[in-house]
Amino acid sequence: MKNKRLHNYAYTFILLGVLVLLTVVMAAASPYFFSWKNCRNILNQSAIYLVLSIGMTFVISAGQIDLSVGALIGFSGMTMGLLCQAGASAFTAVFAGLAVSAVIGAVNGLLIAYGRINSFIVTLSVMTILRGIILIRMKSKSIFGFGPAFTFIGSGKVGPVNMPIVISLGIAAVGAVILHMTRFGNYCLFIGANEAALNRSGVNVKKYKVLLFSLCGLCAGVAGMIVTARLNSAEPLAGQGYEMDAIAATILGGTSMQGGKGSVIGTVIACFILNVMKNGLTLLAISPHYQQILTGLILLLSVLLSESKQRKKSEV
Amino acid sequence: MKKRLVSVLLCVTMAAAMAAGCGSSSEEPKEEPKKETSEEPKEETEEAGGDTLFQQALAQVDEDLAPLPKKDAGVELGAIESTLTNSFWVTMQEGYEDAAEEYGVKIDVQATDSDTDTAGQLDILNNMLVKNYSAIAVSPLTEDCLISGIVTANQSDVKIITTGNQVNEDALAQAGGKIDAKITVDFYNQGVLGAQYIIDNTDGGKVAVIAGNEGGTQADARRDGAKETFEKAGMEVVAVEQCDFDAQKAYDAAAAIVEANPDLVGIACGNDDMALGVVRALQEKEMKDKVKVVGVDFTEEAKAAIEEGTYDASVAMSPYLMGREGVIIMLKALEGQDVSEVGDSTPMAVVDASNVGQMSDWH
Repeated sequence: MKNKRLHNYAYTFILLGVLVLLTVVMAAASPYFFSWKNCRNILNQSAIYLVLSIGMTFVISAGQIDLSVGALIGFSGMTMGLLCQAGASAFTAVFAGLAVSAVIGAVNGLLIAYGRINSFIVTLSVMTILRGIILIRMKSKSIFGFGPAFTFIGSGKVGPVNMPIVISLGIAAVGAVILHMTRFGNYCLFIGANEAALNRSGVNVKKYKVLLFSLCGLCAGVAGMIVTARLNSAEPLAGQGYEMDAIAATILGGTSMQGGKGSVIGTVIACFILNVMKNGLTLLAISPHYQQILTGLILLLSVLLSESKQRKKSEV
Repeated sequence: MKKRLVSVLLCVTMAAAMAAGCGSSSEEPKEEPKKETSEEPKEETEEAGGDTLFQQALAQVDEDLAPLPKKDAGVELGAIESTLTNSFWVTMQEGYEDAAEEYGVKIDVQATDSDTDTAGQLDILNNMLVKNYSAIAVSPLTEDCLISGIVTANQSDVKIITTGNQVNEDALAQAGGKIDAKITVDFYNQGVLGAQYIIDNTDGGKVAVIAGNEGGTQADARRDGAKETFEKAGMEVVAVEQCDFDAQKAYDAAAAIVEANPDLVGIACGNDDMALGVVRALQEKEMKDKVKVVGVDFTEEAKAAIEEGTYDASVAMSPYLMGREGVIIMLKALEGQDVSEVGDSTPMAVVDASNVGQMSDWH
């Protein structure tokens, strides 16, 4: 047990090392990279992925997957957009948008836990259903022109720091505490490791699964809020494909796809790695296609590294 | 212990791969797009001068934009396109780069990974604003997505123009921003021109529209242009299908539509990829002779199909010239010339078997 934990820490340190190395390489390659303005840019741009990936870390830790988060970004944005358009206050709109997202997450969880359907299938279906509803309800047009109270969430600043940075780092901190220090977090990891054993020991696994997906939905709702507020526009196709970025960051962060192993701090570092790379390649004026190849390679290498122990254990 | 060694090794490999990726690729992207469109005709015609439709169009663009800016202004320009997975934007990138070379300035062209990543496009703009570009040409994915970035650009005195896609200028003004110039494409007119071709070449009857991604500015405008033109001409529009610019989806949709309407006379498509999918579906049902198919973009593949006689017509516009216009207009703006009124001059042409011969160098 102790050994395993040590292994996890080692991987997190390696990730941190990669982040530092990447930063040094980029700073050497581009004189614009290491400015406060650019660092703020990177943190600000990581915010959406960070929030989304924190939720995904819980889900993947529990051996599940949630493909609906990208569509949920669009859905929470639409909810907030429609309410703002109807004259609701920013607070009401945000509250309703987040509540709706958490409820849809809970519906995912209910179908998975009580309907006993595979999470991949449930969330894939919910993803397409949500996107369809959004396109119908918004008539494929975006809603724009939010009030200053709402756009503050996306482009306002607290001192020198942008709001999305504050929100995302706050959520990351809370997420780390929940996953690593509370019973709920323990159960998440346990569900991923051995669901049946946990169930037999008298824990209501189904209830925790619902909670788990609800939490992930809530995170997607927050990400939707940031996207909408930053663009000052709720767009029908917002968040499309983001689920894959969140999954990539989570896996890169050292959370195991098999469940039972998860790290919020790893996810945070992974998000920064991916965004530093994106930012640096833009500054160096390198085609985005190379970025995709690099992301894939890094992901593969990281999994080779982080799960080498497990693979050695299994026979095939 | 051994495992740790492996870890370290992997780490080093990863870092090396990254460094190699950064170092060696800086000159490659410029080379790559040229594969898409052949280089030869361009060079030939540069000497031939004024003969082909494309040369006329190029001369027209330069004439419209006169007085042309001075060369070697020593500025750095930026451009942000939609995704480079579409040959339209790749050709436009060539237009940007060739024009920049001609004028002796540097240009960096960036693009998003996908057609829908609006927040990602804003990120790219913000990232580019950290560098000291004098002007940036943007092709926003949606009308609203770049507004906050454009406001930041205004504050740091970077000239911003839009090429192809537009921004919502009311919302931009509300946010306290402005653009210096816009080059527009009349996407609606592309739909109209395609539909008109079908109307002119048939005796009326049932038609269908195959559209792109619902919500996309160009897709919706082309769809509405085609549909409304058909309706005005008294044609019966039996189906409007959203096929996301996907040839396979268009193939399936067309197969279903002609199954239900064997007397169909025409299908107007939102781009050539979809139109060629439609052509394949019709060929398999041996209906191609009875149904006219038109698309938009005039891609290499479409050109070959028109020459072969399998595909009827495509609405061509020149992304290359649009990129060229972009560079010239940015340079004009930097010289302090008034560029607020330039920009919907990008030429268009309906190409079918009768004039495809004159289009050898169009790009």
